[in-house]
Formats: sequence, C-alpha cells, structure tokens
Amino acid sequence: MPIDCEDQELLEGFLAETTELLEKLDDDLIALEKASDDPELMNRIFRSIHTVKGASSFLGFDLLVRVTHKTEDVLNRLRKGELFVTPEIMDVILEATDLVKTLVSDIKAGEIVDREIDDTINKLIPLLSVQPQEQTPKVTEQSASSEAPPKQDNSTLAEQPHSEQTGSTSETAVGKELPSSLPMPPAVTAPTPEVPKKPVPPKGGEKAGGDDLSDNTTVRVDVKRLDDLMNQVGELVLERNRMSQLNQDFQAGNSDHILFGEEFAKLAKRMSFVTSELQMQVLKMRMIPVEKVFKKFPRIVRSLARDLGKEVDLKIFGEETELDRSVVDEIGDPLIHLIRNAMDHGLETPDERVASGKQRIGTLVLAAVHEGNSIIISIKDDGRGIDTERVGRKAIEKGLITEDQLAAMTQREMFDLIFLPGFSTKDKASDLSGRGVGMDVVKTNIKKLNGLIEIKSEKGMGSEFILRLPLTLAIIQSLLVEVEGEIYSIPLASVLETLRVDQREFHVIGGQEVLKLRDMVLPLVRLEQVFNVKRCHEPDNFCYVVVIGSADKRVGLVVTRLVGQQEVAIKSLGKYLANVSGIAGSTILGDGRVALIVDPVGMVDGGDGAAAGR
Amino acid sequence: MSNALVPVKSGEAQAGDHGELIQLVSFSLDNEEYGVDVLKVREIIRMPSITRVPNTPHYVEGVINLRGKVVPIINMRRRFGLMEIEYDKQTRIMVMDVEGELMGFIVDSVSEVIRISSSEIQPSPAIVTSGIDQECISGVINQAERLLVLLDLQKMFSQEERNLFNNI
Repeated sequence: MPIDCEDQELLEGFLAETTELLEKLDDDLIALEKASDDPELMNRIFRSIHTVKGASSFLGFDLLVRVTHKTEDVLNRLRKGELFVTPEIMDVILEATDLVKTLVSDIKAGEIVDREIDDTINKLIPLLSVQPQEQTPKVTEQSASSEAPPKQDNSTLAEQPHSEQTGSTSETAVGKELPSSLPMPPAVTAPTPEVPKKPVPPKGGEKAGGDDLSDNTTVRVDVKRLDDLMNQVGELVLERNRMSQLNQDFQAGNSDHILFGEEFAKLAKRMSFVTSELQMQVLKMRMIPVEKVFKKFPRIVRSLARDLGKEVDLKIFGEETELDRSVVDEIGDPLIHLIRNAMDHGLETPDERVASGKQRIGTLVLAAVHEGNSIIISIKDDGRGIDTERVGRKAIEKGLITEDQLAAMTQREMFDLIFLPGFSTKDKASDLSGRGVGMDVVKTNIKKLNGLIEIKSEKGMGSEFILRLPLTLAIIQSLLVEVEGEIYSIPLASVLETLRVDQREFHVIGGQEVLKLRDMVLPLVRLEQVFNVKRCHEPDNFCYVVVIGSADKRVGLVVTRLVGQQEVAIKSLGKYLANVSGIAGSTILGDGRVALIVDPVGMVDGGDGAAAGR
Repeated sequence: MSNALVPVKSGEAQAGDHGELIQLVSFSLDNEEYGVDVLKVREIIRMPSITRVPNTPHYVEGVINLRGKVVPIINMRRRFGLMEIEYDKQTRIMVMDVEGELMGFIVDSVSEVIRISSSEIQPSPAIVTSGIDQECISGVINQAERLLVLLDLQKMFSQEERNLFNNI
C-alpha cells in the first residue's frame, strides 16, 4: 500500500535521520559485543532505537513500531543489567535491526510491504522473561548510573515522558514532538570495533537489502564551512562589482589604457585568489571521511566469519581520511568484494592456521591513508596468500589463457589473472563466491575511478590489495595538448614524461609504431588516428610524444604540440556520450570552449591489446 | 514516460470547444515545418563554437559549453539523412530536455510559438517523405496553409540506439 503521509518534509526528515541512526547502530552493536560493560555505548544504542521508535509511531508506521518496541525492551533489560550480552542475544538484536532497516527502505521506496515480522518478534519475546545466568557485580553498579543519562544531553528527548525508566514503553507517550530536528546522539569515539573471537552458531540469516540505506542525496555541512563559503561568495560579488565599474570607466573614457591595465591586473589577481579559495571550500564540503564506508565492514566481517567458520580480527586504520563523496560512493562495492575475497580465499580456518603454525585468529587489516593527491586503501590479510601455480592452472582450465601465455607471464601478471571476468579458483559457486564476478567488479570500479590496484602476496604469509585512488574526481591537473588544431587534455597524474622527437626515429614492429626510449621499447599511439582528426598542418618531422602510464604499462601518445599545464574541472559528457572510447570526460577552457579529456587507461589498454593477448 | 504534450488549462481566450490547448515551438528543416512541445525546449541559441567528439555517430556534431554545462549537439539534418547546408544567420540550436538530460539540436531556423488545440493533431500518414524516422513523428497538424509535423524527440533516442551509442 502506498504511504499515507501528508507532510512530505516530515517524512524525509524521518528517513534521513533514521538512516543515519541505523548506520551508527550497527557499528555500536558490534562494539557492544566487545565491550558489554560500556554504559555510554549501551545508552547510545538504546537512545537510537528509542528515537526510531518514537518517530515511527508519530508517523504511524505500525510495523516499525512493533519491532523497535520489542527491541527496545530487550535493550532496556540489557541496560539495566537484567540480561547479559551474549552472541545469541546479539544475533537476535542484529536480526531485528536488519528488519528495521528493511522496513525503513520500504518506506523510502514509497511502498509499505506487509512483511512477516512476527518471526523476529517471537525471537525477541523470550529474552524479555529469561533470567540472567550469571551476575557480574560490575555491570549492576553501572546500570544504576545509566538510568538517567539519556535525557541530559538533548532537550527534545528530555521533554518526552521518561518511558525509559518504566522498562516497557507506551507508544502513545512518545513522539509528541518529533520534528526532523531531533538532535543526534553525540558522536563519541568508539573503540575500534572488533569481531568476536568465538564463532557463534549461525542462527537466522542476515537479511539482504539493509545495506543500501545510505542516502547520498542530502549532505550535512558544518555551519562554519557554510559561513566561510558565504564570505567567499561575498568577496566574489565585490570583485565582480569592481570589474563592472572598471569596465564602465573604461568605456566612458575616464581611464587611460595604462591605468586600466594596472587596475585590471590587480583585479585579475584578486579574482584568482578568491576563486581558488572558493574552489577549496567547495571541495572540502564534498569531502567526507572514508569512515562512512568503513563502518559497515565490522558487521559484514562478523557475519562472514560466522558463515565461513573462521576467526577473524578486523583492524581498521585511518577511517578519518577524507575523500570526495563521489569516490566514497564508488569504493563501497569493490571493498566488500575484496574483503569477501580475503575472508573466503585468503584466511584459513582456525585448525588450518594452527596446523601451519600461525595464530588461531586471522587478522584482516583495512587501512586508508593520504599520499599526495591520492588516497591509498589497503586490505591485508595474513592468510595463505595467492598460489600463482593454482591460479595459472585454473585460468588455463577455464580457457581464459593458453599454456604459452602462462609460461611467458611474470608473477605480477599471474596475480592480475584473478581480475579476469569468469575467473575463479572455486570449482563450485557458493552463495558467497565462485562465480568469478567479484574481482572483475573490483577492477571495473577502480578503473572507472581512475585508480590503480596493486597486489602483494607471498604464499603462506598472506596477501595485500592496495588501491590507489584519486582524492577527487572533480578537479584535476592536466596537460593540454594540440592534435592537428584540436585541443585535448591529458590527466597529469598519468603523464610520466614528454619528449620532442624526430618522426624518423620511430620504428615499426609488427605494424605497431614504437619508439626506443632509453632501455625500453615504447608503443606509440597517434591521437590523430585514434580520434580521426583531419590533418590541417603540413606533415612535420618533429612531433611531441607524451608518455603515459597506467599500472605498469606505458604508451606514448603522439601529438602535434604541447600547450601547457592547467587545472581543469571535469565535466561529464552526459548520458548519451558517456562511453565514448578513449575519452574520459570534458572540461571547459579559459576561452569557453570545450576540450575533451583523454582516458589514459583506455589508451594504454587499447594500445597494447595485442601484446597482452587479452 | 512518453513525451506527453502538456495541455494548457482551458479557460484562456482561445480555448475552443474542442480539446485542450497545447503550445508548440515550430522550426524548419529543409523547407518543412516541425513542432515540438514548448515545455521540452529549454532555450534557443545561436551557433557557438562546437568541439568535435571522436568516435561518435556521424550525426553527433560535438559538444558545446552552455554556461558551464557540457551539452551534446545533434545535427538534425544529418540525423534525418537530409542534405547538409552551410550554417547561416538563421541556424539555431534548440536546447531541449530529453529524459532529464540537456541536448542541443541544430535546425535551419526557429520561427514561433504556436497554440493549437489537441484535436487538430492528426495521426501521421503511413508514408512520410524526406526520410525522417516514422517513430519520432507523433502527429501532423494540418491548418489552412501550413502543415506542421509534430516530433517526439524522446523517441528519437530509443533504448537500442542509446545502447549502440554506448558501445561505440
């Protein structure tokens, strides 16, 4: 049935807030399993679920209220120390949270589906009556102090009847005022969540669909940043006024050429200053910490570890590293695949690990760090590493490569085999892996982002996948080149060097033009041929070669002239021209014309397609 | 969603007793007059400098910078297989909203905005001259001394065509 809600704004507010709460909740719940005696954490969890319940009852989402209500009751008992955190209880609570997520995404989709919720609720109910098996005095003490805190830090909650203390809550009492301005629970630096050391018996499947809750259509921006931005815009307006004044004076003949020149030069300087400031501000606004993606992983790792019967210790570093939202949105999927891969193929079962003299518990390290203009994300496990022989054999079995090709491969190229679509070392596809899709997805997504993947692996010691991604996709440094009168822009990040060479130095090997550059043979790509540019200049012996690289492959692009280096804002070509080969996007030059951005990855792959035999 | 012609609320001066009023922008192409729904037209501009995009179908003239937005430009004459002529003072680009994306179409000239009643639209005859694809024609308007062909540009880029586009 369609959602009957008069106030769309209220509903949107509810969705945005609930989504945020639920995202955090997952993280907190996993953390709670580790640190069950942290009253602050416990209270935060309780508050989150309570807020969701209040808001949904206010808006009349009955299914949601029923689930959250029971969950809240169980959490309340945990909070009061009447119940203790065990993996079994956590399972049920996590299941309930998943259900809540599913229900919320239903609401988001605009349709309330009549879902079966009794199963989950029935699992929650027994928890309301069981007695705790054993008491630790520590927890009981803290539960007393935890009675009050929920209301002290935000006024809105304080105005609500204190249903927390009564144990069971009545829906009518809460949510008399639930505007979208409900304050968020204060952000507290949570201890790095880790996965339980003991595998717990699987109980109840994880519901799919809950993961896609993150909403990228709205942004929360620090008011301070917004103020700064406003200031900058004010400056810009001032400069514009100054400019029109200057123009008016000049037109009226009030100022001579020399004076005008001086004034204009000053103006141009200030303008460039203000705009670059503005650019920085806006870029900063688009930056979000990578934590947004990382925080889903403890949960995923926990459930994967249980499904696979493995023991994993997930360590996360550098989650505060900031990068552009567009990048953040894109790396989620590849990272999940890489983590799955590491858990499934990399890490061994506890027994195998002990047998090979390692610690029982496997370690999975997820780290992010800035390096120059890029961000490096690494996923490292201490599992069995990539067995290149086996990979090679499988690739031949699946008909992806030939024996001869394999024989000629370096170790690095063999690692790269795992990215081939259809490649899998598994004989049978399970619901987790084995279809040979995952790593292909990783490769495609990273490529789309102009990123690089590097694999380090040592048999028996573990493997590391290193992703190098651009910080932002919006503005890049580029090299402008001229190809027979047309201007193209090449991302500077992939330019290795430029040379001026005599065309007579070119050699032809198997129909492919190459250039001997120091100790290597560089395949050449003539941009005028790839882009079908009409010749407009007389053929000249001298031309320029721009050497570009992607991963470890190099290609020289032959161009007529180098124009210069410029910082350019990337504009998409729109849906219709999205996949033009060799073109990554476009940008607008100083004179207002559009220049196309060359896709270095496409060039490199296209250029040596024959050589690599793919 | 089809390019539904949005009716103007009747009750205005011209609202006749038959059907709803619709407004069309009329333009000419090879001496024929065509009309498109006014609400789909974002703006009409003169020819700016166009940047050629390689490896695209022949009727994609290139892209232009429309106040900071990069907009693809389609040459209508080439698209419909008409003879090409030099651009002149009358040549215009009609920037239109095609399924949420801006696209520009080069036409010989743009004449006026006309109001017609939806009842005046007749289904297009089975065989149309001048090689224009049948499916983009949503109707014909036959008034006293003018014949206006109604185009549905959304249909011009059918799904298959767009896929083809993407695979080039």
